[in-house]
Amino acid sequence: MSATMKETGSLAPARFPSLDWFEHLTRLMNANRARQEQLGYVDCVAGFRVTDASGSTRFEVEVTFEEFSVTGVRDVTKGGSRADFVLIATLDTWREMIESIAAGHGRPDLEHTLNRLSHMGTPIQLTGDDVLKTDLYFRYAQSLQEFFNASACFETVFD
Amino acid sequence: MASTPDLSDVKPLPSEAPMHPTTVAAYEAAFEAHQHRWGEILQENAERMARGSYSLHWMNTDGSGWGKRAKPSSRGLTYTDINKYKGSGEIPTMATWKNFTPRGSIREPYADKFPEVVDYEVLDKWELWSDNVETLFEEAKARQWNATKDIAWSELEALPEDLEKATCQLSTFLTEVEFVAGDFPAKWLYRIPQEFLEVKSFLSTQIMDEARHQEVFRKRAMAGGGLLHASPGFEWALQAIMEAPTHTMGTFLLNLLGEGLVLSIFRSGEMIAKTQVDKEIFRRCLQDEARHVSYGVMQLKSYIDNHPDPQKCMDDLHRFADVGEMVILTSFSEAALVEPTAILLGGGLKKIDDGMDGMAKLWRMSVEEYLARCDRAGFDRSERCKIPLDAPWVA
Repeated sequence: MSATMKETGSLAPARFPSLDWFEHLTRLMNANRARQEQLGYVDCVAGFRVTDASGSTRFEVEVTFEEFSVTGVRDVTKGGSRADFVLIATLDTWREMIESIAAGHGRPDLEHTLNRLSHMGTPIQLTGDDVLKTDLYFRYAQSLQEFFNASACFETVFD
Repeated sequence: MASTPDLSDVKPLPSEAPMHPTTVAAYEAAFEAHQHRWGEILQENAERMARGSYSLHWMNTDGSGWGKRAKPSSRGLTYTDINKYKGSGEIPTMATWKNFTPRGSIREPYADKFPEVVDYEVLDKWELWSDNVETLFEEAKARQWNATKDIAWSELEALPEDLEKATCQLSTFLTEVEFVAGDFPAKWLYRIPQEFLEVKSFLSTQIMDEARHQEVFRKRAMAGGGLLHASPGFEWALQAIMEAPTHTMGTFLLNLLGEGLVLSIFRSGEMIAKTQVDKEIFRRCLQDEARHVSYGVMQLKSYIDNHPDPQKCMDDLHRFADVGEMVILTSFSEAALVEPTAILLGGGLKKIDDGMDGMAKLWRMSVEEYLARCDRAGFDRSERCKIPLDAPWVA
């Protein structure tokens, strides 16, 4: 994590949810190619949706992973997502996870890993139109976890 | 070099050699029977060398694809990159070369001189191909990990006895079942001709993955107190996979159903893990398992889409699945699997009932995922599935 900080410099605080916040994660992942090469290829388009308590979409982003990097981050709140799978949760759930990662200095506690939160379908719901593409979430589980773990490198501000 | 060696010149092996005499005798007899074929090659070679002359026939490029220099993509030089070329990159619908000759090499002039590998019996592409096999092979190589050094074993914390025993029993189960997914592809690997090198390559990575899974769970059990109980139900499920009558049927039972269910167990394992070390073990393993599931789905799809007799294909697959699902169910209903998982889910032996409620949800989810993967492959099991959608203890 410290090597990543060194390569990206000091990142400004970012609001969650926002495109800016995911672009911070992108910069951190792309700056840490050596770690990505250890973890292996990631080839998928992942969607992350933040809802309010009623289930309405507040924000949705699409992150394109290719080989060892993120090659695109797109705000798809108003539609147009072409994600292989989408992880959906309320702001409170995302916030708890991000705060747990920050408290653990880049590692969430046992109750706040992506898989822990999504496995039973709640509080994070995994969705996708094609089971083969939804399974990509599992094929890249460690990389996606570490993508979020990098959020400990900057301050997250919540609405 | 002056004279051609002859088998009759070969002295008997020393008596202390640790070889079975009957086996060696059979080996000798087999090669003696074909001596007129390989002996002729040996004689020609020996005579040419004795003359001090060179053949250089291998520099003749007639009938080859010589001259095309394969270009790497951003990831390096992949099978997908080199398969863009006519000849060497064309995967035949049926293998006709039952030997080790490389696809794309000049081999026709020597066709009548090659020995036949009689074990190469899976000759139809639709019996083994999947459209994602090249991608999965590259991904498998890129995402290898090392159970010795990539897991922070020194950080493993001791758990209360009930949770530790449950973790070690789950690890014992996984140690018992994981390497069938190495033995099964190994059993078929040598029956698949070199023409389908991409499939052979992927299956080799699967064998390595499963060796690592067997290793990591054995180590986890030993680090937590030791291995616990093996189970007859597991063994019957493994037997059903190993004895599957065809490669596709076994791959369906192993990769799509069996590994699909084990993928659910790995995901559950990550969810209920009581230490960060266990979390990482399960997370790493589930990635590998998902690759195997992906091959299973697309291989079944290839089989169904291209089988020359669609009705017989479906009839046979359903008959096989009727048996396979029941035998797999024998394994997945074993107390040595269900109970430790429920204890970990509930948070302790006293909360096993709570854990069984969670297990019921996982059961349904796993069966639904299995049916969705079957459906994705074009194999609708929704009306015929022998595994109940709801766990047996759900009223």
